[in-house]
Amino acid sequence: MKNKRQKKKSFFSYTFSSKNRRGNILTENIIFIVLNLVFIVILMLFLFSKTGTASVLEEKYAKQIALAIDAAEPSMTIHLNMEDAIEIAEKENLPLGEIVKINENIVTVKLREKGGYSYSFFNNVKVNTNFNAQNKEYYFVIEKND
Amino acid sequence: MIKQKMNKKAADKIISVYWFAILFIVAAGIFYMVSSFYGKPYDIRQIEVGLLSDKAADCVSYAGFLREGVLTQGFKDSFLETCGITFGTEDSYGWTDESEYFLQLNFYDFDSYQEASQNSLFEVSAGNQRLQDFCNLKGKGFPVCLERKFYTLDKDGKKYIVKINSIVKKIEKNSQ
Repeated sequence: MKNKRQKKKSFFSYTFSSKNRRGNILTENIIFIVLNLVFIVILMLFLFSKTGTASVLEEKYAKQIALAIDAAEPSMTIHLNMEDAIEIAEKENLPLGEIVKINENIVTVKLREKGGYSYSFFNNVKVNTNFNAQNKEYYFVIEKND
Repeated sequence: MIKQKMNKKAADKIISVYWFAILFIVAAGIFYMVSSFYGKPYDIRQIEVGLLSDKAADCVSYAGFLREGVLTQGFKDSFLETCGITFGTEDSYGWTDESEYFLQLNFYDFDSYQEASQNSLFEVSAGNQRLQDFCNLKGKGFPVCLERKFYTLDKDGKKYIVKINSIVKKIEKNSQ
């Protein structure tokens, strides 16, 4: 009984005496981990902000559409999911049906009030641009140019 | 003992300073790489020039045989219209002043064809001829060139080698 009590006492005394030191270590580690997490979060935010900017998406989609039309033949329909670009256009209060415009052989994608990116294609075809609001996608009907 | 403890604490601090220095260097590296990557335009000319070459090949040959009327003056005169190609570009960087494309097709006799052969049986071209001068140059800021050749037959069974030389410039919007 005495032994048990002694053991108990020594256990408490050990934990109590080393409490401050352990507490310091824990706080230091937590601060260190939190700072690292903050660092990673800032990096991730930076990456996402860079990859999803309106100017980058405008260029990406204009070139993608131009290449798709270059590879297409009359009577084909090209469906293009543009969810990320449409979200940006919605924030900018732009009419969603006017994000992509094709004038003769020039594709223009516009996601900002003061912006837009144009790229030309060499395939001499007539392209009808349509917007499907339900699926948030554009589809392009390729026809023979008369 | 106390000295050892103090040294350890100091060492820990130094390690954490180094750690944050490393983090800062890594962050700066990532910022630089991402900024330089997304700051540059996507270069799609390699794909574009390939598609142009395919389009020209489909225009002159189908299922291994030359299309009718290819080796005629009429085809030469209306080459782009017949093939459904237009070299018009957007009005930026002065692209409308000079064509940003060049396309040339050379037809050689299969039996007498040699790699360095200059004399073709028939030649047709369109676009900016001056772009050819840049094809042997290496480095950034030059047009993208593609040379392809294929074997084909006419309806009489005569064999031809068709060499397609296609070039896309569009430097300003693809390479910086």
